[in-house]
Amino acid sequence: MKEPDILFLIGGPQGGGIESAGQIALKTLVLKGYSVLGTRDYKSNIMGAHSYYTIRARFSRPGAIRFPVDAVVALDAESILTHFTDVKPGGLFVYDSGVLKTKIDSIQPMEKALKDRLKELFASKGLPPITESAIKIAEENGVKLVPLPLRELVRKLAEKTGASLTSVSKAVNTMGLTAMMYLMGVEPRCVEKGIALHFAAKKKVVNINVEAARLAVEYVESNFGGPRETLPDGPHRGKKVMLATGNDLVAMGKLAGGLTFQSYYPITPASDEAIYMERFRYYELSNDAREKLGVPKLGTVIVQTEDELSAIMMALGAAAAGARASTSTSGPGFALMNEAISLAIMAEIPVVLTIWMRGGPSTGLPTKEGQQDLLHAMFSGHGDNPKIVLASGDHVEAFYDAIKALNWAEKYQTPVVHLLDKYLASTTTSLYPDEIDSSKATIERGVRVDDPSEDYKRYAITENGISPFAPIGAKDMILTGLEHTEEGFPTEDPVIRDEMMAKRRRKFETIAREIPPEEKVVLHGDPDAKITLVSWGSTKPIILEALKLLEEKGVKANFLQIRVFYPFPVKEVLDVLTRAETVINIEQNDLLQAAFLIRGFTGFTIKHHIKKLNGRALWDTEVVQAVLEILETGKEEVVVKGGA
Amino acid sequence: MARSWMEYRTPAWVQWCPGCGNFGILAAIQRAISELDIEPKKLTVVSGIGCSGRSCYYIKGSNMHVLHGRAIPVATGIKLANPSQTVIALGGDGDMLGIGVEHFVSVGRRNIDITVIVHDNAVYGLTKGQAGPTLPAWIQTKALPGPNLHDNINPVLLAFASGYTFIARGYAYHVEQTKELIKQAIEHKGTSLVQILQPCPTYNNIMTKQWYEERIYYLNEEEPDWDPVVSTHDEYIAKMPRILMKLVEWGDKIPLGVLYRNIAKDTFEERLSKIILNYYEYPPGRRPIEVEGKPLIDPWTVFKEKVVETQKI
Ligand SMILES: Cc1ncc(C[n+]2csc(CCOP(=O)(O)OP(=O)(O)O)c2C)c(N)n1
Ligand code: SF4
Ligand SMILES: [Mg+2]
Repeated sequence: MKEPDILFLIGGPQGGGIESAGQIALKTLVLKGYSVLGTRDYKSNIMGAHSYYTIRARFSRPGAIRFPVDAVVALDAESILTHFTDVKPGGLFVYDSGVLKTKIDSIQPMEKALKDRLKELFASKGLPPITESAIKIAEENGVKLVPLPLRELVRKLAEKTGASLTSVSKAVNTMGLTAMMYLMGVEPRCVEKGIALHFAAKKKVVNINVEAARLAVEYVESNFGGPRETLPDGPHRGKKVMLATGNDLVAMGKLAGGLTFQSYYPITPASDEAIYMERFRYYELSNDAREKLGVPKLGTVIVQTEDELSAIMMALGAAAAGARASTSTSGPGFALMNEAISLAIMAEIPVVLTIWMRGGPSTGLPTKEGQQDLLHAMFSGHGDNPKIVLASGDHVEAFYDAIKALNWAEKYQTPVVHLLDKYLASTTTSLYPDEIDSSKATIERGVRVDDPSEDYKRYAITENGISPFAPIGAKDMILTGLEHTEEGFPTEDPVIRDEMMAKRRRKFETIAREIPPEEKVVLHGDPDAKITLVSWGSTKPIILEALKLLEEKGVKANFLQIRVFYPFPVKEVLDVLTRAETVINIEQNDLLQAAFLIRGFTGFTIKHHIKKLNGRALWDTEVVQAVLEILETGKEEVVVKGGA
Repeated sequence: MARSWMEYRTPAWVQWCPGCGNFGILAAIQRAISELDIEPKKLTVVSGIGCSGRSCYYIKGSNMHVLHGRAIPVATGIKLANPSQTVIALGGDGDMLGIGVEHFVSVGRRNIDITVIVHDNAVYGLTKGQAGPTLPAWIQTKALPGPNLHDNINPVLLAFASGYTFIARGYAYHVEQTKELIKQAIEHKGTSLVQILQPCPTYNNIMTKQWYEERIYYLNEEEPDWDPVVSTHDEYIAKMPRILMKLVEWGDKIPLGVLYRNIAKDTFEERLSKIILNYYEYPPGRRPIEVEGKPLIDPWTVFKEKVVETQKI
């Protein structure tokens, strides 16, 4: 039997239960023993705009989503019109049959540009500008149509449960989802378990949704028949599984990593991290820790500040006073933190800046994917401004990197910029206990003196450039952003200036030396492959999928993932790139920022580039196509454009 | 026995112009902390950038010199990480009420137990005398190319609106009285403001020693029944009209002293300790974060709501 690999999406208006439907689907599939990947696409809007949840499930963890999918559930006219071409021939298109006469122009939230494209397409086929035309085209494309009379089903649901029409009308998401999952071979009782798990203590909601699921199954069965075959159970049944987003995992990593202070100002897609963390700000210690420390619970102070200037400065104050501190934001907030980063470098204060990139410039695409802040991170802060810049490639890395970033910040008394992005932030995956295991992490704080002697100097000049850290309150001292003596008093003396510049430089060299090479770059795949793909950040699992697909097509490539950009791993990168015959760089920004850094630090110019700028997740299939196109034509640049 | 104020001096050269009001403020702070007998390492002065900001090098403490306008959030972070520390945030009028005014306002909402001292010379001293946010309109001080077109902000009224629970005004050359105000501000539990009128003989040739001394008066001297302390809501309602009159009084007469004090409001630290029950015992700067180099928590237990037990199907 071929390993099942299912891929579907559910779309509807924002605020219409799309997130819930996605979560129910993920939980159902996890209960069935599958490994899952689910990503949420939404707009900068609270209610009404189109949003959708794309889910892929198979035995091994899926690394990428892509279109076309096996099935679409479209809960409203805009979803039908947005996704009718996103289904494979033979796939399922489940939709609300009550909206077929809806005119394109009457759908207010829909983008005018999309309306215009659709009207042109429909006109070219002699079809009227209404929703039904999309269904006709889907049918022509060989898609299996599953119209659901949602209004009627909602009425029946109200009758059956005795609840009001308005209170049950929300359950259309469950109806659509269950109809689709049933036809894909997922047993209705599994969906019911998924529903019960998702709504947990809310008995009444569970009941309404279970009834909604049953009505949907009944309707589908009597009108379209049952599924061709039942989906086999996956290999992970019986395991403990964690379903978490990148935001969640960074929050978990930070708390496990001993974070004691976090400040933030709300911004997409960063704030979910702090908000999730805040729910657990007074947490239970593990049995071992509780015994050894003699305290059952400890707390992490989390403060929502008045702006990002305050967020970073508060974190710096807390860190100077001995806290393990971080702040979290995305591009716009990070821009406001620039001056403080420079202070942290000069005053040698440990702090982690978790940056969740999104589409820029400016407010740009606030809820969409982008990797445009690499150069921003590298060059943040004025003056000579070396710092650590670390980029996580997937959920597991995000968890451990959050801990590592905190370690490095304290060990080297420096700001650490931890780069992540919107895709990781709002993508959920299933994780197993051996993958997220806090006992595999270590906590290191570097040289700290809690009870400094009289002659302690905050900025003592040392061989490795690191001055022992004493927290504020341990002794009289002075921390400063002015150039200073070893004691921290301001000085403009030319000799001391040179000594201090050299000290800070030595510290940075120590960092470069001490971070192990395998934590700076990872070469995935056959080291002897002639083709090397280079990338960073959340494209990692997508490119790993692409490598497999390429291999199926007879193209052997490996993948150089850059994890640490600063201190830049010159030797490690150069070693790999100079060995390859063809190097192709892949990133989601227009300036080709990683390639720019590679050229600047190593002198190696990458000739071929694949980029994606439209704010949608990168697909493995489009990477494959672009690689093939480059290999065939020698093209320097291919812009991939998938996504709705 | 309390330490002598001289013990709070540092080896740094105090680099202000002769006659600068900052000298008086420095002396008042040093005397206040010596009378309160605060150990130097238990005192933190965080300062912004400006002539006034240099104070953190002249007061013996566990201090930090930060960015222009940002002393308050840093002071907040230090206090929250180590609530047993005595924390003073100080800066000029430009620092606190211009570039950093968002922090000046927001700290009041939290009522963090820190003391904010504004060295108010109505000019940007360190950048050579531009108009500060407390310089009244149409005044043209020495370095200005023309008269100031901006109205002046009222720091004490702004502090009141922002929720500060202790508001006082002092005068830089009156070291003894200013010292008393600073002492009370430090002892007050909650966010305190001491605005100190500070002549800048180099750039502010209008609001001079003479200008101030013709206008200032001490509330407790001229109005012996002056009592700005509020401990209940009813008391607040009853005393408010008179307190407000004093908060807005500015011109021919400028009141000095404690303008408002509210002892009913809880501090941010107290609020935190209702959620993190052992916060004072294990504050962020002084709590264990590992045992034998290993994390203190297991994500599978703490975040169990994310865990699906698949055997339960
Ligand atoms: C971000 C930033 N902008 C501008 C400056 C330049 N600057 C230094 S001190 C100062 C004004 C100081 O005025 P004030 O805060 O009233 O302090 P004073 O010197 O009067 O005590 C300015 C604008 C700076 N240091 N940082
Ligand atoms: S410029 Fe004014 S405030 Fe600055 S030191 Fe001189 S007198 Fe003092
Ligand atoms: Mg000033």
